[in-house]
Amino acid sequence: MISGVTTLFSWTLKTDSKSVYPHIVRAGFAGAMLFAISMSFTEVFGTGSMGLRFFELVCTLNVLIITVSGISYFVTAVTEEKDAGTYALLRLAGMNSLSITLGKSTSRLVSSLMLLVIQMPFTFLSITLGGVLWNQIVAAYLALAAWMILVANLALFCSVRCATSGRAAGLAATIIGVFVFLPRISSAFLGAISPGLLSTGTIAFLESIPAVCSKISVFDRLAEILGLTSGFKMLGIDFSTGLTTISTASIKGAVSIVAGQFWSSLLMALVLFVISTLTLDFWSAPADSAGPSENKIVRRWAVGRCWELSVAWKEFLFFTGGRTFAIAKLLAGGLAFAGFRMFQELDGYSDGLALRGDYSWWAFLTFVMTLTAEVLLYSSGCLFYEVRQQTQSTLATVPISSVRILVEKFAGCAIALIPAIAWIFITLILSDGTIVRNCSVTMVSSYLIMLGFASHLAALLSLYARWAALPLTILLAMPAFFCMAAPILGLTAVTSVFARSHNIEVTLLLSGIINLFWTWMFVLLPLQIWIRDRWIALSQQ
Amino acid sequence: MSTITRDTVPAISVTNLSHAFKGHQALSQVTFCVMPQTLHGFVGPNGAGKTTTLKAICTLLKPNWGEVEVFGHSVRNDSVAVRRRIGFMPDHFSMYRQMTVFEYLDFFAAAYGLPVRQRDTVIHDVLTLTDMEGRRDDLISGLSRGMQQRVSLARVLVHDPDLLLLDEPASGLDPRARIELMEILRELRRMGKTVFISSHILSELAELCDSVTIIDRGQIKFSGPMEILLESPDEKPLYNLKLATISETAMQRIKELPGVETVSEPEFATGRDYNIQLAPATSANEFLRQLLTLDLSITSFSQQRRHLNQAFMDLTTRGVRT
Repeated sequence: MISGVTTLFSWTLKTDSKSVYPHIVRAGFAGAMLFAISMSFTEVFGTGSMGLRFFELVCTLNVLIITVSGISYFVTAVTEEKDAGTYALLRLAGMNSLSITLGKSTSRLVSSLMLLVIQMPFTFLSITLGGVLWNQIVAAYLALAAWMILVANLALFCSVRCATSGRAAGLAATIIGVFVFLPRISSAFLGAISPGLLSTGTIAFLESIPAVCSKISVFDRLAEILGLTSGFKMLGIDFSTGLTTISTASIKGAVSIVAGQFWSSLLMALVLFVISTLTLDFWSAPADSAGPSENKIVRRWAVGRCWELSVAWKEFLFFTGGRTFAIAKLLAGGLAFAGFRMFQELDGYSDGLALRGDYSWWAFLTFVMTLTAEVLLYSSGCLFYEVRQQTQSTLATVPISSVRILVEKFAGCAIALIPAIAWIFITLILSDGTIVRNCSVTMVSSYLIMLGFASHLAALLSLYARWAALPLTILLAMPAFFCMAAPILGLTAVTSVFARSHNIEVTLLLSGIINLFWTWMFVLLPLQIWIRDRWIALSQQ
Repeated sequence: MSTITRDTVPAISVTNLSHAFKGHQALSQVTFCVMPQTLHGFVGPNGAGKTTTLKAICTLLKPNWGEVEVFGHSVRNDSVAVRRRIGFMPDHFSMYRQMTVFEYLDFFAAAYGLPVRQRDTVIHDVLTLTDMEGRRDDLISGLSRGMQQRVSLARVLVHDPDLLLLDEPASGLDPRARIELMEILRELRRMGKTVFISSHILSELAELCDSVTIIDRGQIKFSGPMEILLESPDEKPLYNLKLATISETAMQRIKELPGVETVSEPEFATGRDYNIQLAPATSANEFLRQLLTLDLSITSFSQQRRHLNQAFMDLTTRGVRT
């Protein structure tokens, strides 16, 4: 068994070290460090806590990357063998369940933990910059390492449980999403309902959820380590459970290096690893059963005849889940909307179907985040799936140009986005005006530009870095956002001045068009050409 | 098979094709042509350049030098017209395994621009030809390798191409599936298709193909009709004689006939088989007339043909290309 584990482990590490892309990821991390330093420098220059801000940004980036890696990189540990049909060969080579789970997951975990280790010397710079002490840095990295181990083992469990990498990613994303948002939802629900509506046992159960989640929450632990009284925020959203206790000692930096979060995460990870190992054989069916239902009647309705835009049909039906999944998403959106509506009702506001205030804003943000996640998942997967199935050469011999194939793929994925887009518009229509007040034109155009950029980047990276495309996209898109935001704001200002001086009234529309044009011309078009060339090159291999 | 005249446009015409990958010369001055409505074998050791040539023909690869034409259309300048007339089956199973057989064929028929009504007829026809009509609603993932190969062949046929390019179509198939596949290929030739088949199974190619091209280390070693390759023109013809009964004096009596140079028994002799080499001036007819006067009970008399395996070994170089 030992030789099997070491062979698999060393082989994966060797492959990783010989491949150029993991090194690009590491270089990306170094770039992100530089970005964090620059950001903290511009934000809090001269206030004395620049080191704290810098370190907070580094932690934010790490949590984000670790979480996304769980959904995209770690989940393929076992499913990649199932996808390739090589799982049985591993068993034939005499490897038992423990050898496979250890060998396949540990190597990825070690190479990912290396990413944290290489950061540490740089982050000690934050001590010099002020506002943070060495023990805070060590404690934060231990918390991050524990979170990574937990996420990696959760992803391993999903990888064992599911037949395909796509399903495993979906399951991992759902579990992480539930873990992150359930405490807030249960607290909000308990706060909103009238006393006496639920039994004491149910209330006690709902009250225990945030407490349990808080024990393993990396967000709470980081907020505690860094003394963040307003909670640990990513992209402006507080992900803490709301039960973080910030003592005066932690604000001054006197925190324990190892806390309950570390041990409970390791314990959870161990439990997940054991379950994964014990159930590996039971769930080791190959990936062949993916796709729409095999029932003929259901399938005839769900799949139907191929459209004239055949590639779009294929993408919509066999990559994004097709009609049945689109209807399921539409219904899920309705349930989410009804949930917000119910919370509003419990809060004492009854306004027909309309949502008001924070409820409309949060409902809107939920659907926008869903749309963003869908766009990134589709763009990082739709080309990669074709490459993985080795079908791109067959597709390349049909009399359709590569550009049209790529455009049809985009169209197929775009159809699958209709439910999320529909719910964004429904929320907008049924809102009391809060959303329109909160959204500026610059914010909307920046979001659209960034979404376009990130989706192109994800599609391109998926042709090079396979499952690592999604975390890599997030890593690169964040600094790119600030590089692109400056010209967007600058051009908007210049357009406004120009419009005023020439008595043009549609200033915002004009600046929007100008921004969209230059972004397409100088950012998206080169990426599109690159994607096309890479696609053609892969078709020839 | 229609008559080939001087004006017939070749199905495939490859002229001075050269291609290099990162300094490695994959093809060097490759020139050959394939006439329409023939079954043409393409043979070579691993790494000889077969797949690279096939990719160049089916528009997947733009070669560095040289010209490739398919029915007179240049693959470099008129790739869409070429793609409409070819059907390419790669050497690996590149299939959408989550689709059913019908959905898979419907998708490719739509990709080739066939309207819905025509698609139904075409799919029925190709499934009948490949004997897969009964499995049209089965998931591709649930089919055996042989059946997947049939579906792959059906896919190649949905747009009724004039030229089929098959890269190792029989690899990994069991003997029965191989024989059935060869039958389908013969049927396609009868239907007037040109089939360009790359394969390692030389015995089957010898039986199946009208012409053959042998490639080794990126260079063409032979291209032409199968008979010419198997004739071994540099050697004196060797004849096999088989008798019905064992005769102890037969060998000596044959040797004494005029025009006979040597008579020997084959390696695994049964006492009834003889290999006979005639003098250059002696014809086989003349020898046979004299042989009949010996009053031996003859079962068969035939010229020994060189096997394709032997021709392949003679023309190609030992070892793996570096």
